[in-house]
This record gives sequence, C-alpha cells and structure tokens, in this order.
Amino acid sequence: MDKNINLSITQINRTIWRIFLFLLSMAFLLIAFPYLKPIIFMLIISWILAIILNPIVDYGESVGINRALAIVIVMVLIVGGIAGIVALIVPAIMNAIDTLSGKMQSDFLKDLTAQLEAFFQKNFNNAALARDVIAKVNDLSANLLSNMGQFLQNASSFVAFIGIIPFVTFFLIKDLRFFKRLIIQQIPNKYFELALNILHKVGDQVTRYIQGQAIDALIVGILSVIGLGIINIVFGGPVPYFFFIGMMAGIANLIPYLGPLVGAIPAVVLTIMHGPQNLGTIVVWIAVVFALVQVIDNNIVSPMVVSKSVNMHPITVVIAVILGGNIAGVIGMLFAVPAWGIIKVVMKEVSWGLKSYKLR
Amino acid sequence: MISPIWDIAFFKKKKDKGNIFQILENVPIFSDLDERELIEVEKIVHRRQYKKGEPIFRMGDPGLGMYIIVTGTVDIVEELQDENQKHIATLGHGAFFGDLALLDESPRSASAIAAVDCDIIGFFRPDLMDLLYRKPQLGIKILVALARVIGERLRRTNEQLSQIIREAETRENG
Repeated sequence: MDKNINLSITQINRTIWRIFLFLLSMAFLLIAFPYLKPIIFMLIISWILAIILNPIVDYGESVGINRALAIVIVMVLIVGGIAGIVALIVPAIMNAIDTLSGKMQSDFLKDLTAQLEAFFQKNFNNAALARDVIAKVNDLSANLLSNMGQFLQNASSFVAFIGIIPFVTFFLIKDLRFFKRLIIQQIPNKYFELALNILHKVGDQVTRYIQGQAIDALIVGILSVIGLGIINIVFGGPVPYFFFIGMMAGIANLIPYLGPLVGAIPAVVLTIMHGPQNLGTIVVWIAVVFALVQVIDNNIVSPMVVSKSVNMHPITVVIAVILGGNIAGVIGMLFAVPAWGIIKVVMKEVSWGLKSYKLR
Repeated sequence: MISPIWDIAFFKKKKDKGNIFQILENVPIFSDLDERELIEVEKIVHRRQYKKGEPIFRMGDPGLGMYIIVTGTVDIVEELQDENQKHIATLGHGAFFGDLALLDESPRSASAIAAVDCDIIGFFRPDLMDLLYRKPQLGIKILVALARVIGERLRRTNEQLSQIIREAETRENG
C-alpha cells in the first residue's frame, strides 16, 4: 500500500517536473525566437529543398551512383540554375522598378490625373475628389517602391545566408535517415512504434505535399510564361519581363484562392505602365491567360500532383495567410498555407496513432 | 603500439557491428545478402533495449515491421478479453517475429513481451519501401526471401490443416 502511494507521489512529481520543463522550454523559445528566426528560416528552406531534391538523388542512387556524388551533381545543377536565373532576374527587377519610378514621375500620371479630374467633374461635379484619389495612389506606390528597395537591400545581405543553404541542404539529404534514427532513439519503448509510424506517415505525406506543390508551381509558372509569351508575339511585346512575371505567378500559386490574383496583378500593372496602344484588349487577354492557367491547374495539374490530404477551407486559408504575413512578412504569407497543411497532417496522424495503439 | 584502452575503443564499434551482421545474416530474409548489402540494412534497422515484462508491441496495434532478438527471450502471447493472456511461444537469441507486418499494416495478431531484459533489432516496412526505391536490387532480394519464408509457413499450415481434416474424417468414419 505504502509502496503504491510512494509510486504515485513519484509519478506526480515526475509529471510536475515535465510540465515545468515544458513551460521553461516554451519560455526559452519565446525569448530566443527573434535570435533563432534566421536559423529556423534557413533550416526550413534547406529542409524544403532537401524534400524537393531527395527523389532525384534517390533515383541517382537507384541507378548505381554513390549517394554523396548524386547529391553533389544535383546541387551543382540546381545552384547553377538558380544563379543563372538570379543573374537574369535581378537586373530585370531593378529595371522594372526604375521604369515604374520613371512612369510615376512622367506625363503618364499627369495625363491620368487630368482624365480622372475631367471624369469626376463631369459625373460628380467634384474634381478635388480625383486629386485626393491620385494623391493616395501616389503615396501608396511610393511606399511600395521604397519597401521594394528595402527588400532588395535586405536581399543582398541575404546572399550570404543563401550561400549556407546549399551546404545545409547537402547534409540534410545525405543524413536525413541518420537524423530520423537519432530522434527515434530518444523515444521511450512504450511510444516507439507509435512515434516511428507517425514520423513515417507525416514525413511521407509532407514530402508528397511539398513535392506536389513544387511541381504545381513549376507547371503554373511555365503555362503563364507560355500564355504571356503568346500575347507578346501576337500584340508585339506589350508585357515586359513576361518570364519573370510568369514564374512569380507560379510561386504565388502556392497561396490557394489568393495566389492567382497576386500572380496576375504585376502582369496587368506592368502592361499598363508600358502603355501599349490597345491596352483594354491586352488586359482582357492577360486575364484570359491567367484564368485559363487556373482552369488547367485546378482541373488537370493540381488533382494529379498535389496531395488531397491537406485540402482546406477558404476561410482557413485567409486566416493562415494573414497570420503568416504577421509572423514573417511576404515569405510568411507564401509558406503559411503549406505550414498549416503540415500542422494538419501532423494532427491527423497523431490522432490516428493515439486511437490505434494501446498505450497501457 | 596502441594502448589496450584505445585498442578496445577502436575495435568496439567494429566488433559490435560484426555482432549485428552475424545476427542479420542468420535471419532467413537477409540470408541472401552479401556483406555490402548487410551494411545497407544495418543503416536502417533500429536497435532497442527492453526491460523484463515490457511490451514490444501489443495485439491489435497496427503492424509496422519485424523484430530480431539479439539477446534475451520474448514471449508471444494472445491477449484474451478478460485481461488474461494465453501463452503461444517463447523465442530466443536469433529468432525473429512480426515479419508479416513488413507487407501491410494489419493489426498484430498477438502481443510480444520481453520475458527477460532484451536487446532487439527492429526492421520496419517504411524503411523496406524506401530501400526498394533507392536500391531496388537489394529490396527485391529481401522481398523474395520474405515471400519464401511466408510461402514455407503457408505450406506448413496447409499440411497441418490437411492432417487435422484427415483426423476429423477418420474420427467421423469410424
């Protein structure tokens, strides 16, 4: 009897100790988060890259190439490709910003103000309203451009950070199984099979989800580039930087519902700024291209490549995107939905595991 | 000359691995593998220690993979509804159990409980599937051997069933 009482007191002490340790770790994480944020981001990006590249390395291994050599080959190709794209895109972005700034200062804005004033004077007998609207738009654009400049400035300091990512990715691909084993070794026997099963199932679903999203983004990007390219051929090049815009549309497509809109806006804005003759027709065709890409994506590409296990309600998507934006800005918005998808998969599998295993 | 202390430290790992290889190559599903292939298998197995009375898995749990006993003995028991257990078998050094779970996630048909303190190697389905993708030739060797083990077991079960039917018919006839 005494032995039983002692045993339960020990168990209570152990539980209190565990809760205390948990709260202490949480407090530490909250305090250390601002300092750990860049490292966490770097690890997340490397991990996502590792997941995307792993099947290619696995394939290399399956045809008899040494794993480390397969990783080096894939990394060299990818890093070379990214460097090439960056070398093409960065000057294009800088050019686009210069063009935009120039347009903002040029006669284009004055013409637009005059037209709007005339419109408001004629219909509402209030030309001042037009000036207010233009002033607001001007402030907004100036803010946007200065933020873009800031972003690029941060991006240049980000280059050093980017340099570390391939290094971390290499070791993540090479030693992922070793890391998994290391984690599993720490799990008590009682939860061993449960933890191993959940880890594999979550890993499997998350991998399929991320790979699916990457393929989907690539296909949407390519389709958008093709569509905008055709517009350029037919109308004599009214959409500047169509390759960059198309690829950005592919990446923006990671955000369900909002992504296509985010992807289409730069194309329309840059075309308006470019000021082609038959602007109305071209804007309609740009809308048609993005709508068509969405139809193809939603009905053919997405059902084939993106896992259905992380379907989510539009309201959840909006909340996740807002939360992601608050936590980590544009990158947070981009990764909010995949991150929520991963959390959803983890919760589903943990719940399945707790129901299926007898944890007595 | 290496000091005996360092000598032990240097060779401990190799001897330990040697021990695993020796155990793995005696398990029928790994018996066709050469040393290089056994090294690959060694990279994906899990080694666990269980105290006496500790369950390794419970009847009804989703099947995940097989276990090989390095040291100690394991009781295989059927858990009855009144919380009693029916003893089915006791397995010792080198024996393996739970191999059907390498094929699917069907619930475990019995519980495995450490009869004494045990050292056990676990080999699991997701790792086998991963191996099949990365090293198809090695994966196929393991699958063929697994099919042979299961086929042999099915043949013996059929023989036992036939014998039981024959005995029942003999009893009925006469």
